[in-house]
Amino acid sequence: MDLENVQTNSVLDIRGLGCPMPLLKTKKALKGMASGEILEILGTDPGSKKDIPDFGNKGGNQFIGMVDASEGHTRYFIKKG
Amino acid sequence: MKTEIQKYYSAVFEQEWPAWLAGMLIAIIALMIFLWESPWTIAAGYNDWGNWFWYLAGAYDKRPLDPWFHPVSLSNTGILIGAFVSALMARQFKIRPAPKLEYAKGLAGGILMGVGASLAKGCNVGGFFSAVAMLSAGGFAMMIGLGAGAWVGLRYLLWEMEHLPSQAVYSKPKDKTKSKAFDWVKIQPYLGGGVAIGVIVVFYVYAFADKTQVGGWLFFGFLIGLVMHRSRFCFVRAFRDPYMTGEAKMVKAVAVSLIIYFAGSSVIKGAYLVEPAMGIYHPFVLGSLTGGFIFGIGMLLAGGCASSTLWRVGEGQTKLMVTMVAFALTNSLTAKFLQVSGINEKLGQDIFLPDVMTWQITVPLVLTFFLTWVLVAMWNEETEKFVVF
Repeated sequence: MDLENVQTNSVLDIRGLGCPMPLLKTKKALKGMASGEILEILGTDPGSKKDIPDFGNKGGNQFIGMVDASEGHTRYFIKKG
Repeated sequence: MKTEIQKYYSAVFEQEWPAWLAGMLIAIIALMIFLWESPWTIAAGYNDWGNWFWYLAGAYDKRPLDPWFHPVSLSNTGILIGAFVSALMARQFKIRPAPKLEYAKGLAGGILMGVGASLAKGCNVGGFFSAVAMLSAGGFAMMIGLGAGAWVGLRYLLWEMEHLPSQAVYSKPKDKTKSKAFDWVKIQPYLGGGVAIGVIVVFYVYAFADKTQVGGWLFFGFLIGLVMHRSRFCFVRAFRDPYMTGEAKMVKAVAVSLIIYFAGSSVIKGAYLVEPAMGIYHPFVLGSLTGGFIFGIGMLLAGGCASSTLWRVGEGQTKLMVTMVAFALTNSLTAKFLQVSGINEKLGQDIFLPDVMTWQITVPLVLTFFLTWVLVAMWNEETEKFVVF
């Protein structure tokens, strides 16, 4: 999937936040979304590069991918199951 | 050949190591430290740093042990440097700012951990990890306290998420097209290699000065810091994840680590290679239990325990720098208060489990305890019965 052009339904900005806030906020954001919607997460915590993909594939959801942005943060994409 | 080396470099220094592997390596290093001099701990190092601050500020009369001669101060420094080297090798080192609320939590978390570690006579390492492996009853009591404290801490974070706004904060990278500034990221691995060689040189300097045993603590700490940062090994997650995401991964990693550590310690003590009562100084039950509870809340607020605070500082996280300072200052003050007030005498007794239950009962009982912990965590992973959110 072309991550630069994916249509997202919601953007969660957690830049500057460290463990455990990235996962907590991601879990909360996903709870409020409908099935099939895509959540984009902007994060800076290095731990998120493993945590978000692992968590994103749980509970019927699908982790679509991640890409490093030129501004220094990482963009993660999760599709609600 | 170059591709092969790059592949191995990437596997070792860029990709995240699995938690179970890190757990095994940490247990092995901890056993080396135990045989080297005494069980691995962390809070005692923070205590020395805090003592120095208050001594220089004029609050204490007694001059503390120099931080470059205090074994735990040295191993803590080693952890910091090991994590720094690991971050550099992966080009991950960066001074990372945080929102104001996170700094407030870092401060509060450090204070609570400082107090908790004083009551329990150890942090998550000295008061729980090493204590349990040494078969000190206080270690198990602290473990229960940590579990309860983590639950309360998580409940606070959930409340905060609902009721307090948070702002994103990040440092923008410099525009490389506009300036001819040095590409700092590219040279990080070389700097990391240089620092690693520096640590080995310093160890040789200690040996040359006939201080090999003290210098060894720096080196072992360095190895632990490297392993912990490579794997992002965090004791907090063993207590938090079952309530937060249901994941049992860190429970398994810590349990595997504890099984190896306690098995090794039992053989060493059982064979009288060291005095069996070594490492048994945890006040069972009041000190360990309440200390663990308070520490548990603190580590959730801070987003790191005593050990993971150090490796997170090593990768540049400014919130945990605040935590580290608060922990050191508070731990020193609380320890002084508990001693002077006489409360220390009322916190409990040091209990070496084989003295109470015999080796024949203690060993299988402790093993069963760890396996039960893992099984319950795995059951929770499937059923999410303990997940609060």
